[in-house]
Amino acid sequence: MTNAYEIISRFDPDFPRKRAGQLLTDTTEFMNITYGDVIDLDGRYFLVLRDEKERSFGVEDPKYWVKRCRELPTGERKILKLVFYERFPVSMGSMEIECFRSPRKEARILDLVRGDMRFMQGYSHDDAAGNNVRVLDVVKGELLSLHVDRLEVDHRTYFFELLPDILDKFVEACRAIEFLHKHGENHGDIRRDHLWLEQGTGNYVWIDFDYTYEFQENPSGLDIFGLGNLLLFLVGKKFCTTFNIPRPDFDGKADVSFEAADFSMLFKNRLANLRKVYPYVPHALNNVLMHFSSASEVFYFNVGEMLEDLAPCLDEIRRGRINS
Amino acid sequence: MDPKKILIAVDASDNAARAVTYVAELLGGSTGFLITVLYIERPPNRDLYPDEASWVEAGQAQELRIRTFLQQAKSNLTGQGIAPDAVTISYVPHCQSPVNPAAQQCSIGTSIARDILQVQQQGDFGTLVIGRRGVSRAEEFLFGSVTTKVTHLAKDCTVWVVQ
Repeated sequence: MTNAYEIISRFDPDFPRKRAGQLLTDTTEFMNITYGDVIDLDGRYFLVLRDEKERSFGVEDPKYWVKRCRELPTGERKILKLVFYERFPVSMGSMEIECFRSPRKEARILDLVRGDMRFMQGYSHDDAAGNNVRVLDVVKGELLSLHVDRLEVDHRTYFFELLPDILDKFVEACRAIEFLHKHGENHGDIRRDHLWLEQGTGNYVWIDFDYTYEFQENPSGLDIFGLGNLLLFLVGKKFCTTFNIPRPDFDGKADVSFEAADFSMLFKNRLANLRKVYPYVPHALNNVLMHFSSASEVFYFNVGEMLEDLAPCLDEIRRGRINS
Repeated sequence: MDPKKILIAVDASDNAARAVTYVAELLGGSTGFLITVLYIERPPNRDLYPDEASWVEAGQAQELRIRTFLQQAKSNLTGQGIAPDAVTISYVPHCQSPVNPAAQQCSIGTSIARDILQVQQQGDFGTLVIGRRGVSRAEEFLFGSVTTKVTHLAKDCTVWVVQ
C-alpha cells in the first residue's frame, strides 16, 4: 500500500478521505506528524489521532513526540513515543539536576518488564531511519494521586479504613522499583504523574521510564526519594504544606508549632512530620516519613531498607483501626 | 599497610586538584614516599547519546580531559620536589568503556568508592587522599558521595579528606 488513505480505508472505511495524511516510515520530523497520518513500522500501521498532553497546574502542555494512535488492523489504542533527545533541568525543591530523555533506556526497560503488570507494557521498534519508536499499551484508569485526592472521606476515616489497602499496593509498587534497581536500572522520574491506578484490576502501574541522568555514587537515590514523596502524599491524602495547613478546611491539627526539621529535605514547605497534624499516625510510620525530612541523619540506601520499615506499619494501622 | 604509600583518588574536579596540591605542598622535598594518583573511569552515560559514535566521541573527550589532569597532577607533585619515579599515575577504565573496551583491569562501575578501596587494599596503600566538594546532606542522600562512602568503608588505612 502506497499512501495513508489506502491503508486507512481498508481498515476504517468511514474515515474521511480528506483527513487522511501522509504515510510515514521515518518519524524524525515528529512535529510534522499529525492527525490522519499513518506511521508504518515495518508493516504495522498506526493511525495518528493526536499529540499526547501533560496536564499540570491546569495547563495542558502538548508532548509533540508522543502520539496517541490506533493500530489499524486491530483498532487497539496505542501510544507511540518518538525519538526526542532532550536535556532539561528538573527542580527538586531547592536543588536542580540535569535530566535527559533516553529512548534506549525506556526500550530496555520495556524488554525487562514484559509481562510484569506493575509496569506499562510495550515494545520498541526502529523506524526506517533508525529512530527507536516505543509502541505502548494505553494504561486505562486514572492517576493514583487523583483517585486518592477525590476520595470523599475525612482524613481519619481515610487513614484507618482505606490507607492500609492503598499501602499494601504501594508496597508492591515499591517492590517493582526495587526489581528495576536489582537489574541495574532505575525509573528516573518517580512522581505522582507516573503511577496509575489501573481500571478493572486495581493494579498500580508505573509509566514513563525514559528519564535518566549522569551516574552517581548512589544511583537509586532519586527513585527512593520519589517513593518517599509519594508515601507522604498517600499518608496525608495530599501534601500537607505551609499553604493548606492554615486553611479553615484543613482536616488535621493546625494549631501546632512547626520547625524546619518537620519539613521535607528538599521541599521546604511540605510537611514530613505528619504525626504533628494527624496524631494517630503511628510512630513507626512517621519514622519512615521522617527519613525524607530535613532532620534526617540517615537515608534509605535501597528500597528494601525502606520496605523493612514500612511493611510492619500496615498491621499497626489495621490494629489502630480496631482500637480507634 | 605502608603509610608512606599514598594513594590520591581523583576525578578532574577542583576538589581533586586541591587534594593533589595539598599532598605536593605537604610532602614536597621529602623522600621515602610512593605516590599513586588514581582515576577510576566513570564513562558518560550511554543512554544519553543517540548513537555509539557520539557516545565514543564523548568518552574520548572525557578521557583526554582526565589524562591531562593526571599529567598535571604529576607535574604538580614533582614540581614541589617529589622525585618523578616516586609518582605513578593510574587510569582504571570502566569495563564497558567507550575508549578502553579491552582493558584487563577494569571497574564494573557499581561504586567508585569500593573500586578505590580495592586498589588501596591491593596496592598496600596506608594513606588514602581524596577531595571533597562539600555537598549538602540532601545531595549526599540523593546522589551519594564517593568521599563519604570511602571514609565509611576504609579499613587499615588513614584517609585524608581535603576540602
